[in-house]
Amino acid sequence: MTTATKTTSLEYIKTIGITNNGDNGRGFANPYSIAVSKDGRIYVISRCDPARATAIRVGVQDIDENFLFEFSEGYGSGPGQFVLPVAMAFDSQERLFITDEFNHRVVVYSSEGKFLDQWGEHGSKPGELNGPAGIAIDSNDNVYIADQHSHAISKFTADGRFLLRFGREEDSTPEHNLCQPWGLCTDADDNVLVADWRHNAVKRFSPDGKHLQTLGGLSDTLFNRPSGVALDSEGFVYVTDWGNERLQVFTPSGAHYATERGRATLSKWAEDFFKSNPDEVEVRKISNLTPELPPHLADDPYQVSAQTEPYFWGPVAVTVDDHDRVYVVESNRHRFQIYKRP
Amino acid sequence: MTTTTRQDIDLMAHLMRRAAFGATLDELEQKAAKGYEETVEELLNPGDPGDLSQDAIRRYHVDHSELRQMNSAAGNWLYRMITSKNPLEERIALFFHSLFATGYTKLNQARCLLNQIDMFRQRGLGRFDTLLVELSRDPAMLLWLDNNESHNGHINENYGRELLELFSMGIGNYTEDDIKEASRAFTGWTLGNVEYMAMRAMKDSIWPYSRIAWHFQYRADDHDEGEKTFLGESGNFNGEDIVAIICRQRATAEFICTRLFQFFAADRVDDDGQAAIDEMIDSYFASEYEIGAVLRTLFNSDYFKSDAARYARVKGPVEYVVGAIKTAGSYRQPTLGIDKVAEQAFFMGQGLLNPPTVEGWHEAEEWIDSGALVERVNFVANELADTSQPGVKAIIGKLADANGGTLTPDEVVDNCLDQMGAIAVSDSTRGALVDHVGEHGNLSLSDDSSEQRVGELLGLIAATREYQMA
Repeated sequence: MTTATKTTSLEYIKTIGITNNGDNGRGFANPYSIAVSKDGRIYVISRCDPARATAIRVGVQDIDENFLFEFSEGYGSGPGQFVLPVAMAFDSQERLFITDEFNHRVVVYSSEGKFLDQWGEHGSKPGELNGPAGIAIDSNDNVYIADQHSHAISKFTADGRFLLRFGREEDSTPEHNLCQPWGLCTDADDNVLVADWRHNAVKRFSPDGKHLQTLGGLSDTLFNRPSGVALDSEGFVYVTDWGNERLQVFTPSGAHYATERGRATLSKWAEDFFKSNPDEVEVRKISNLTPELPPHLADDPYQVSAQTEPYFWGPVAVTVDDHDRVYVVESNRHRFQIYKRP
Repeated sequence: MTTTTRQDIDLMAHLMRRAAFGATLDELEQKAAKGYEETVEELLNPGDPGDLSQDAIRRYHVDHSELRQMNSAAGNWLYRMITSKNPLEERIALFFHSLFATGYTKLNQARCLLNQIDMFRQRGLGRFDTLLVELSRDPAMLLWLDNNESHNGHINENYGRELLELFSMGIGNYTEDDIKEASRAFTGWTLGNVEYMAMRAMKDSIWPYSRIAWHFQYRADDHDEGEKTFLGESGNFNGEDIVAIICRQRATAEFICTRLFQFFAADRVDDDGQAAIDEMIDSYFASEYEIGAVLRTLFNSDYFKSDAARYARVKGPVEYVVGAIKTAGSYRQPTLGIDKVAEQAFFMGQGLLNPPTVEGWHEAEEWIDSGALVERVNFVANELADTSQPGVKAIIGKLADANGGTLTPDEVVDNCLDQMGAIAVSDSTRGALVDHVGEHGNLSLSDDSSEQRVGELLGLIAATREYQMA
């Protein structure tokens, strides 16, 4: 049920990030997912464009924008390596699970960046992976993976033993099944929420795969290709509405709560950049970074975001930490914006 | 019900090599059955492109979403060329990309270049005056030819000059004063946030948060409101007025029709070709400057259908690459490597979104030198020798259906030439191909090596002189 209620604004906290054109240090190259450890460290995976593929890595920083360290085994298909990483999640032991849609597998690292394990076989049969995208881990350390090209959610044990697949065969209607799912999260009851990308919906399933709830859908305008979903401690639902370049927020009952287009400001790292490039500061000051656009651009959120620096652009994932801070990851702007429900 | 003849197929193959990127034999047979003029109309009146969705591309390729890299933007356009059901839209965009050549190297803005291509796609078959106005408002063009630095009282003539010389009339049809007056009329045509955007372009800045795309802005307070005299007409002209005057000129009609002829009909213009151009010029004025009408006249002309126009153009690298990929059936889904394909076209001499100068590429025979030829042959040989590709598999399937799956070398060669798009080759070329296949005798599709032999032959055909031509 998506009956509109009074729309509320989220509280903007800050932006962290800067384009990292090198291959190490602070900043990101097409960040694709965030996971926050119990001690508040923020893990960000950079998917990287082809020209920077060798810089593929997980960078770790804190809420005060202190860069801490980074790790990966590099680009490729060898042990612990990545080609097209998509999403991350911590299990109860603070092991970091990372999906890779090219290598069709899950790679596991310790929170200190040590490669531990990898599992997954490429294929479309139950138990195999075909373009794994989103990942979520429930309170029992069961691992749910959005198996993008099998149009299903696959459930595994933490060491990769297949348990269950759902979302595909058991129901023939788009309202209940999945098409190219992307982001995942679990709720307090270990139900699974799925960003059903191609169906423009968010769906909730029980741990054994029964469909429970749908937000949006192909005949609805709530979402256009949603990429990520997350919940706060009270059960409010946050959805990165990728095709509309925005964040949608819903109450636990599914009523619309807020829409956020993005309000990025300069991160500390960005401020440091301008300190060493004062010539840009002057012309930036006289610029309007939220310009009015001609009609052929103004009707397309993607084009608007390309022109409007503070707005979300390429919001590929959303994560909520233990303090109910909401992190929206923007692949195209190499940063994440942090909000909180007031 | 008319019967489709071999001549119909050959003519349709000719049309599809020019107005599209080639076609399979099955496609040619379907279109020939529909009729030549009807197919021309379909090409000129495109519907839903039905191409690979941008959503799917952007989800897979992060930089096709951000469009920071030139090769990503070029690869993104290649997907469109490969999968669009409206090939003439892509061909006309390619034509105007060469004519109104705008390049990445000065702009560092791949997105805005791709937006310009999209404008060509949308406007390229419409009225030429509308297209020139859109071009004059195009952010990439404005910065490429420095119109952002042309101010009331301090004009920069670069855009005004090239608009007349390279984009519409050609040298000898206007004066230096006309250039100055046109430049005055385009003062105030600039970008939003132009100071910051120009600095970022100059510094190739991607900081702090990647590129910021550009949009047109008209600054009335920087426009020269004085009276101007341009090509013999006087008034308080703005840019639209200049374009309207340009498009009324006979020289403009001759210029654009000749360039269209050379891109779609033949590299060289002989007397018969000039007669076709004259018909195109008549269409230009009769249709009020509509490019689609001009092309309709060309495609339906006796000249275009004649033997003189067959294989009378050297394929540009991009059309060559796209044609081979369409035959192979590769890159129908987002695939790592499309950006490398764009790079390959660059090595062959045509880097999409990266023309060498504002004059565009030197075309015709100049596409081919020994280095470029090696790049061409190597690329298509690899692409077509990959028997896992669906297009190659389909050709092998057709051969397996012929003569019970066992074919003589002559039959193998003739079948493959047909399946690749009814390609006509000289006797000597055909003889060489038959000799090559004949080294291993008849082809039996039940043999383990048969698919590899077919793949090799397809690559060899793509290396022939005839396949370099359209």
